[in-house]
This record gives sequence, structure tokens and C-alpha cells, in this order.
Amino acid sequence: MRFLLGVLAALAFSGLAMAQPVNTGHLTAELVPAAQGIAPGQTIHVALRQKIQKGWHTYWRNAGDSGEATKVAWTLPPGWTASDFTWPAPHRLPVGPLTNYGYENEVMLPVALTAPAAAKPGSTVSLKAAAAFLVCADICVPEDAVLTLQLPVTEGPAPADPQWGPAIQKTLAEAPKPAGLTGAFEKQGQVVKLAITGPALKGANLADAYFFPFAGTVIDHAKPQAIERGPEGLTLAITPGYDFQSPTPPKQLAGVLSVGGKAYEVTAAPGPLPAAAAGLGPPPAKLAVPAGAANLGLASAAFFALVGGLILNLMPCVFPVLAMKAASLAGHGGEQAEARRQGLAFGAGVLATFLGLAALLIALRAAGSAVGWGFQLQDPPVVAALALLMLLVALNLSGVFEMGTSLQGVGSGLASRGGLAGSFFTGALAVVVAAPCTAPFMGPALGWALIQPPAAALVVFLALAIGFAAPFVAVAFVPGLLARLPRPGAWMDIFKKALAFPMYAAVAWLVWVLTVQVGSDAVPRILGAAVLLALAAWIAGAAQRQHASGRRHVGLAAAATALGVVAVAGGAFWPAYSTATAAETSGEAKLDDEAYTPQRLAALQAEGRPVLVNYTAAWCVSCQVNDRVALSTHAVSEALKRNNAVYLKADWTKRDGAIAAELASFGRAGVPLYLVYGAKGGQPAILPSILTEGVVVKALDAAGKAS
Amino acid sequence: MSRFLVAVSAAIVAAAPAMAAPVLGQPAPAFQAVDASGNTRSLSEFRGKTVVLEWTNNGCPYVQKHYNSGAMQSLQREATRDGVVWLTLISSAPGMQGYLTGPQARQWKAEAKAASTDVLLDPKGTVGRAYEAKTTPHMYVVDKAGKLVYMGGIDDKPSSDPDSLKGARNYVVAALADVKAGRPVAQAVTRPYGCSVKYGSAD
Repeated sequence: MRFLLGVLAALAFSGLAMAQPVNTGHLTAELVPAAQGIAPGQTIHVALRQKIQKGWHTYWRNAGDSGEATKVAWTLPPGWTASDFTWPAPHRLPVGPLTNYGYENEVMLPVALTAPAAAKPGSTVSLKAAAAFLVCADICVPEDAVLTLQLPVTEGPAPADPQWGPAIQKTLAEAPKPAGLTGAFEKQGQVVKLAITGPALKGANLADAYFFPFAGTVIDHAKPQAIERGPEGLTLAITPGYDFQSPTPPKQLAGVLSVGGKAYEVTAAPGPLPAAAAGLGPPPAKLAVPAGAANLGLASAAFFALVGGLILNLMPCVFPVLAMKAASLAGHGGEQAEARRQGLAFGAGVLATFLGLAALLIALRAAGSAVGWGFQLQDPPVVAALALLMLLVALNLSGVFEMGTSLQGVGSGLASRGGLAGSFFTGALAVVVAAPCTAPFMGPALGWALIQPPAAALVVFLALAIGFAAPFVAVAFVPGLLARLPRPGAWMDIFKKALAFPMYAAVAWLVWVLTVQVGSDAVPRILGAAVLLALAAWIAGAAQRQHASGRRHVGLAAAATALGVVAVAGGAFWPAYSTATAAETSGEAKLDDEAYTPQRLAALQAEGRPVLVNYTAAWCVSCQVNDRVALSTHAVSEALKRNNAVYLKADWTKRDGAIAAELASFGRAGVPLYLVYGAKGGQPAILPSILTEGVVVKALDAAGKAS
Repeated sequence: MSRFLVAVSAAIVAAAPAMAAPVLGQPAPAFQAVDASGNTRSLSEFRGKTVVLEWTNNGCPYVQKHYNSGAMQSLQREATRDGVVWLTLISSAPGMQGYLTGPQARQWKAEAKAASTDVLLDPKGTVGRAYEAKTTPHMYVVDKAGKLVYMGGIDDKPSSDPDSLKGARNYVVAALADVKAGRPVAQAVTRPYGCSVKYGSAD
């Protein structure tokens, strides 16, 4: 039957048509030329084109677990030669527990056809190819075809074939080629790590990277290849094939790396893995995207940012600043126009600072730094300076000295420019201390923003700023609201002094952050600086009081300034803080936690254990609150034990590119992020940013049940 | 689409029994299976004998190449004459190509004049998955101590064309000769070729 088809095809050949398609049962095959003719001595491409029935497939050069590559035997006139196929990158075709490599729908397999120099122009060459296909759906059928192609021999190179030329050129252009990639592999326990680096991989989307080996038994085709990204390439964790059990294990891994819609030939040699091929964690998880941020539109991201900004007002790290500002509003209560000016100045301060931070963040990311929201608190000098700044604010609230308005005296200065500058400054300060608080809705919006072009990112930050500033500005602008603020009086001084204490608490917290960052050496230094600063503030206060009673004491003011400068410089900036080693930063943890590494996570998943990963940072207040109220609890500890789960802590207190990359992979720009991986592996569940004990326990039980 | 495939393959991988892959030189995965006559057989009952495991599917063109030519049967005859136990396994799920009931398997064995010791029925694919049998044919040799000494293809001509039997180097013949002579098997792993084993869904 097959023979008959071939004969019929040959008989049907008319001499005018160039190619005769042959239907072999489950595919139609033909030889198609890239050019309308071929000149003596010239090489052109001719392709074996297969149009495959829906649901069926043919195979790549390595067919995978089963199947057989398409073969062709040429019958050519003397002197004519045809090369081997150029194989386009294959697809993975899973069949039950097996995986094959091949093609569906339509595929072109080009060969280079070379005419002898003695070929006679004006004649027609007859090319014959006996092609053998294994065509499979769930069952396999071997099919054959004898294909012919008549091609004119021309004086000079002939123009491209209008029907097939472009398609063949496209196939050749997209076919896997060497791209200067360097590969190394190493068997590590039960996996073979294949590390590939090269310029083509830098900045490429590595999410769907897959290595198709040329040899049929070097890897287990059906097992997933876990991807880890590096600055210059990637590392694949591959389940080895039979060959690695042989007494003479493979001396090379050659094949095609398919990545981001492109395919490259690569040959890896045994040997140490280059460091630049790992370290940035797995690529963004595609399945996590709907829960994350990458699919947010600009409008919804901006809306989330606005809501997030509003909620930010209620977060614990913002409270002291807002309290202070409330006191100032109450202080000049009733004066409508003045309140408006104050509100606008505050709003301007918030906006300017948010946009400034956003611009800095975008610039840093553009320069390749793995930073995210809250990055400004990852630098010890900034934390130390902020602690001292908070102390200054607290001392001011306590009445040790007056701020900015000293020359005019208390009360009268509120209408002055100094008062407006103070409001602007308050807005700026509020943003700076708000940074560690990722409010609900803010995480996805900022995560989305940071992977957008700068303009879109700025819009999101602007929305966040507006949301953050809105309540205060509203109070300043809406007469009814302002009127409801209590009248000024003696109570105000007491209120103000009471509000100093949240600020002292903030100072204590920042000192703790600093010790986590740089170790206990920081304690005497920052506390010493604090005492010095307090002394400076007291002297400044004394000078102000002297001045108020009519005497000037330039010496006192100068001494206060000098002491303050020394305190801030010594406490925050000089000499530079040395970063502590990991051992010193462990902090206190009531739960049995382990430091997170991608390797540890992979190992635990391989053991089939559920894993709770807590992306946290000491400077992140939401994280600390969650830790206290929802994580370090008896019930969670029980749930971990009950489900044989492991608690991993990914600490982002100090800058860490790998963790930043993972946060980004879940569409986040900052902490907190809580993930629960099920015992069966797969995508993790993402827990809400505001945790409750119940949520954690439920997630752990669900994760354990999967086993 | 590909996301769906990933999910499906992940589910399949996760659902597969948590058995280690067969390892050369290690004890061959133990199994029990019902033979064509309905008796439960196990690998352990053949301890002390060399055992050949042959995965088959009578609808597969590659299997047909070896059976229609009589090559497989003569291989089975020579091996069993030497005291080797030859077990032919069918891991096709009900409704899939190559699935046979006990009586059908007996009939097929008789008609094909197969000389295997027994045909074992593995419709759930448990044994096939334990051995990671990928193709039909896919061949394994277990030595007298119960250790896996060969796994892979039947020969070095991955084709369904009967002409390819001529001049093919039969890996199973070579492995059995090595085992008989007490030598380590020279070519202990090769690429299996043929149709995919027609496993049912993992549940």
C-alpha cells in the first residue's frame, strides 16, 4: 500500500510541477525548494515539509523516551550532495509518564543541496528522497514516502522560491545554533547540574528554559528541569539518564537549550559549575502571576497603590509621625487658611519624597541593583541617622527644645515660613519612616510598578503618595473636620508630651534594627550618640530659653550645634558600620526556623515536606507584628510539627540579590511575603500580608494534606 | 496550553509511586503480578536464576518487527533452554493498544509461538513504572543474585523496518552471554526504542 502510494506519486509527476506531496496516512510530505533553481557549484536549501494530522506528531533527532526520528535516504545524480537535516527546536510531548521530543502540525526539515560544478544549465535535476516517518498519537504508525523534486539548473543563482523560500529561510534562521554559550555539568547526588553561561542568556527570560539533549540516554526526559538563574546564565537541575549509571559516565552533554522562544546549541563539559550561572533563584513563577502583580493593569495598580497609601496611615511605623502632625494641626486649630497651607505643605512633602525615592529606586534597579521597597533601611548609616532623627523629634515633643521656630518663640511661628517648611519636612519624614511598612494592597502595586517602564512606575508611586497624604490634607481642607479637632488649651501640652513616647519607642525599634544589621557592637555607639544628641538638644533648649528672656547666648547655640553634628556623625556615618556575619544576625526566634536558601527549599521539597517560607526583615514592622501575633505562636508550632513541615526564614534585613529576585518572581517589591509549599511540590500558596494565626495553621494543614 | 501540560505532568510525576528509579548493580525492584493463567507471580520466586524482563505490546510496529520475523521467539527459546527465566510484561492499560486479558494473552502467546516462561499482566502499570519501562520492547536482565545487570533496548537498530534485524547487534544476547560467563555486562545500559508503553492514567 505504502509502496503503491509512492509509485502513484512518482507516476503523477508531470514535469511542470516542482514537488509532489504524498499523503502517507497521518501526514502529508513533500520536498520543497528555497530557490527556483540551482546554479552549477551552488548550494541551496531544500526542505522535507511535513503537514501532520491534528493530534499526531513526528520526532526530533532525539525522539525522547520513545519514538524514532524522521529519516531520509537520497537518490541523487552523480556529483550532487545533500547534507543532514537542520533540526528546528523540538517541543516536549508528554505521553503518560513519558516525554517525547518532536513536532506537531507542520514542520520543515531543511537540507543543504549542492550541485556539482559540472551540472548543465538549462537541464532539470531530479531529486529523489525515501523518507521514513514514525507518526504517533497515543499509538504509533511507521509511514514511508518516496518524494521527488524537479529543479531547473540555472546559469547563475536563481531567485528565491516565492512559496517556500521565506518559510525555509525562517526555519533556518530560527534553528538552534551555537551562540558562544559555555556549559559545564556536575553530578550532585541524584541530580545533574547543568550550568550554561553566555551573552545570549544575560537578561533573557529564563522562565521556560529547557535542555533537549542530542543523546537519548543522558537525561531522564520526563522529569522537570528545575531552573536557577544567575547573573550570566542559568543552572538546570536535571534527573540523570541511564548513561550516568554506566561505568563510563558521559564526557559531555550536548544538545539544544530552548529559552525565551529562542534555541541555542550548547556542549557542556564535566567540571566545576561557574558561579555566574546561579544565585538569583528560580525564575518568576508563571502560575503565581495571577495572585501576584504582573498582570495588573496601570489603572488597577494605581488604585491599589492609592488604597495602600490610605491604609499606610494606620500602620504602626507611621503612627508617631501622624500623631505629631495631629498635634501641630490641633495646635493652630480653627485657622482655616493656615490649616490649608499646612496641609498643602505636608502633601507636597509627601509627594516630593515619594517621587524622589521612586526615582532613586527606579534608577538603582535600572543600574542592576537588586533593591526593592524599604531598600533605604537596608543601610546601617540610614537606620542610625533615622534613629537619631526620631530621638530629636521625641525630645522636641517632650519640650526639651523647640524646633525651627526658636527665634520667634513658641506659637507665634506657626504662620511663618518656618512652619510651612516644618510641615513639608514632616511629610518627608512620614514617607521615610513609612517605607518599612508594606500595607495591604501596596505590595502587589509596587511589585507591578517596579517591572514597568519608569513613567508607569512613577504614576503608581504618585497614587501611593496621594493616598498617603489624603487623610491629613482632607482634615486641613474640610472645615467641618478641622472644626471637630479640640480647641487648643493646656491639655495640648500634655498631649504633645504624651506623643513623645511612641517616638521613643520608634527610636528603640530602630536601635534594635541596627543591632540586627551590624551586631551588638552598634549598641554602645548608637546609644552614646543618642546621649550626646540629647545633651545637644538640652543645651539648644537652654539657649532658646535664654533668648526668650532677652539674653543672647551665641556660645550655647554653637555648642549645641557642634555637639549635635558630632553625635550624628559619630552615631551614623563615621567610621562606617561593618556588616555583621549571618551568625550574629540570627535574632530571636521562638519557632524552630532555618535560614532560607533555594537549595534547602529544593531539598525539602524533594523530601516531600511542606515548607513555610517567611520573607522578612528586621526593619519591616508589619513583618515583626505578623511574627509576634501569627507566627511565633503555639498553634503554628503545633501545625508545623503535625504536618512535618519546615519553617524557613528568608531575611532581607541586609541587601540580598537572591531574595530580591525571588520577591520579584512573586510580583513583590518588598517584604513581607509568606509562602506555603505543599508536600507534593508545585506552586506555593501565597498568604496575605496581614497574617492571622488561623490563616497560617489552615495553610499548613492544607499543605500537609497533599502528601 | 503548555501551562496545562506542565500541571498535568507535575500531577503525573507527583502521583507516581515513590519508588526509586531502577539502578544498575542494585537489587532489581521487587514486584508481584498476575500471569496469563491468573496466578500471582513475583520476582523473588526466581532468585537463583537469571531473569529477562521484556515489555511488550502486540499492536506496536516495533514489537511486530521482532515477533513477525520470529527473532524474539528464537531469542526466548535460546535463553530459556539455558535456564533463563523470561517474563514478558504487558503494561498497557485497559482500552489502550496492546492490553490483553489473561485468556487473550494465552491465545496471543500460543499464536505467536512465544517461548517466554510466562506473560505477566500489569494493566495498572505498577511494575512498568517501578522499572521506568518506556518503550515496547524494553529489556531488563536480572542476575541470579537479583541484581539488575542490563536495561535498555533489544538491539542497536532503532527501527520498525524488518530489514533492520539484519546485522543488528542484540544487546540482550550479549548481556546474557556475559552473565553466563560470569563477566560484568559490557554494555549494561542502552537506549530503549519502540512505541511508548501505553500506561493508563496514574490513578
